[in-house]
Amino acid sequence: MKNRFWFNLCSLVVVLSLLATACARQATEEAKPVVEVTEAPVEATQPPAPAEKVSISFYFTPDEGSSSSCWMDNAIVPFNEQSETVFVDGVAQMNSWETTRTALAGGAGPDVVMTPGPSFVYELVQAGQLLALDQFAETYGWKDTFVDWALSLGEVEGKLYSLPAELETLVLYYNKTLFEKNGWQPPKTIDELWALAEKMQAAGVIPFAHSNADWRPANEWHVGEFLNHVAGPEKVYEALTGKRPWTDPDFVKAIELLNEAQQKGWFMGSLEMYYTSPWDDWHNALGKGEAAMNIEGTWSASDINEVYFSEENGGNEWDWIPVPSTSGKAIFDIGIGSTWSINAASKHPEAVAEFFTYLFSPEVQTRLLVECGTAPAPVHLDAEAMVGVDARIARIFEEFGKASDAGDYGYTTWTFWPPKSDVYIYEEIEKVWANEITPLEYLEGLDKLFQEEFKAGEIPPIPKR
Amino acid sequence: MTVKVLSLSSKRATSRRKWFSKVVTPWLFILPILALYLTVVIGPSLAAVYYSMTDWSGIGKAEFIGLKNFQEILRDANYLKALLNNLRWLAIFVTAPFALALIAASMLRGVKKGGMVFRTLLFIPYIIPGVVAASIWRNLVSPRVGIGSVLASWGIPGLDFAFLGSTKTALYTIAFIDNWHFWGYLMVLFLAAMQAIPSDLYDAAKVDGANRWQEFRHVTIPGIRPTLVFMLMMVAVWSFLTFDYIWILTQGGPARSSEVLSTYLYKQAFNRFEAGYASAIGLTMSLFAGMVIGIFVWLRRRGWDI
Repeated sequence: MKNRFWFNLCSLVVVLSLLATACARQATEEAKPVVEVTEAPVEATQPPAPAEKVSISFYFTPDEGSSSSCWMDNAIVPFNEQSETVFVDGVAQMNSWETTRTALAGGAGPDVVMTPGPSFVYELVQAGQLLALDQFAETYGWKDTFVDWALSLGEVEGKLYSLPAELETLVLYYNKTLFEKNGWQPPKTIDELWALAEKMQAAGVIPFAHSNADWRPANEWHVGEFLNHVAGPEKVYEALTGKRPWTDPDFVKAIELLNEAQQKGWFMGSLEMYYTSPWDDWHNALGKGEAAMNIEGTWSASDINEVYFSEENGGNEWDWIPVPSTSGKAIFDIGIGSTWSINAASKHPEAVAEFFTYLFSPEVQTRLLVECGTAPAPVHLDAEAMVGVDARIARIFEEFGKASDAGDYGYTTWTFWPPKSDVYIYEEIEKVWANEITPLEYLEGLDKLFQEEFKAGEIPPIPKR
Repeated sequence: MTVKVLSLSSKRATSRRKWFSKVVTPWLFILPILALYLTVVIGPSLAAVYYSMTDWSGIGKAEFIGLKNFQEILRDANYLKALLNNLRWLAIFVTAPFALALIAASMLRGVKKGGMVFRTLLFIPYIIPGVVAASIWRNLVSPRVGIGSVLASWGIPGLDFAFLGSTKTALYTIAFIDNWHFWGYLMVLFLAAMQAIPSDLYDAAKVDGANRWQEFRHVTIPGIRPTLVFMLMMVAVWSFLTFDYIWILTQGGPARSSEVLSTYLYKQAFNRFEAGYASAIGLTMSLFAGMVIGIFVWLRRRGWDI
């Protein structure tokens, strides 16, 4: 009996202690951070901050190659050397986004919050974890630094919360040597693209090098491209702003065409190969001339140039064209990779804003592109400063800039679709390819989900046309 | 009187010391692990129960929505597909690795020379990290560089097929790979259990004229029954929690043909920001695992010798 009493007492004490801890955490969640999340740097890449400088932190995921160290050497180190008041401490974390998210939930985290995209910003803003940047944008003139539409992508409910760090668009890379050898002309329209793909397949060449084996969401690259380039970006804009359903016949036609291409085995030879070819395989296929074209983002331009079109792969030449469209007009779909924000719990938001002003300056962005091959932020780049960048890559950004100024742009799914609709786009399209649902049924499902998110106000800001 | 008081006081002190050493001291030893358990198991479990009844996105506040997430599960075709795949996985894993492990263990039981070498060789796949094993097998089953392509180059076609890329074969290919990794572990357990069976029983069976199969059926199986049944229960539970190989090899694709509840849960929580819904899925997984254990407990209470 006595034993039972003590057992109960001890259990009660432990449970009450845990509950008290949990309740204390819950009660103060909205007020201010009380729980200090232990930041466990995997590897501190910076020397300790000098005593007189304000130290601000950000987490980054180190990569196997040299791109993160190159980035640090060309962005952080020069800033720390030139700033007399601020020291940026880059903390390597194996999965920096998950670590940041967990730390933010605990009311702590780095001063600089990097997210994988605007839809993540929305969630963080709803949780009150980010600081509005409007005042800093005004003070530091960010509106002049960024291209017209770029800052609006960081707005949530009319306030600016994030800056786009990486400009992305998709183009059609092609094996120029293979094209010349076979007398093929780069296509401008969807009809020309289709006719050419038929010819390529008949000649035993894989029309499109592409696979989702290493990145399942790669499915959405083509869904987005087909929606924008078959139906047209105007219709996509109308659908994104709730004025047109996703079941519009032109959208259905776009998905039918994509499905037709998959069924014909135009992507890596068969649907099965599309699902299983590793990244290097399909890029090497393009470089070697086993495949002729590749619709992919600017993130791969540097590797295509330096790695896959190598002497080892036959020394072929590559080039690019805008992804063909129904009208034949050059359309570039706007995409934003990661975003940068200020932690609402940061003690030094001014210092972070000073760092952002430096980081997003055209000079630094150009340097990162030239030295590290990093896709730049959507800022006004000086074309003449891009000395050392491959002319073809420089031309992508040049033409993209011109097209976006002229309003000839479309919308990438990962930037402009809300999170649930975005996941639906790349997960459920595989059911269309498996003939489990029709393109119309696929779009009906998308429309239902999108309208729910639209009503809930979860759509990222859509640049006006 | 003084002596009596002293004696009483001494008795009380002794009794207090005994009570301390018998009741408090064990608790003091247990307390750290108990606190840890409550913090990392019971606490999150209770939190999961709460969050399963909220619309929590995984970030920020959670609003209580009652049983809506569970109603949604009942309507969710993708959930049902994932559950069916878990049941297929269960069916595979309570048969194939057990059959292989039993056969190998009963063959190795009688091996005197070099037995340890075989055991080690068969056990090695189990100690290879899942990520490494999955990556190796991804190449081995690749139609471009794998076993199939080599055989095809020798004029033996048929296996140069993207098994992980077909909705018909993806789940079974992953199950095969996971089974390759897992069955050696079962074999070692069964072998250990078999070695504890008295050799007299085998001698008696031989005297009675039993062949190898009869020995296996009437001596070996009854002799290892507790281990066998316990592992059947554990494998059944693990089948509802499987994640790593599927996530590494296909992430549930193509077209959700290899989706299981754990991969579906992960996607809901971290891709769709539906942590509340993911918690509800997690609770159903616990429920299925609990049902498996419940069935075994029930059978034992009914008098089954397991």
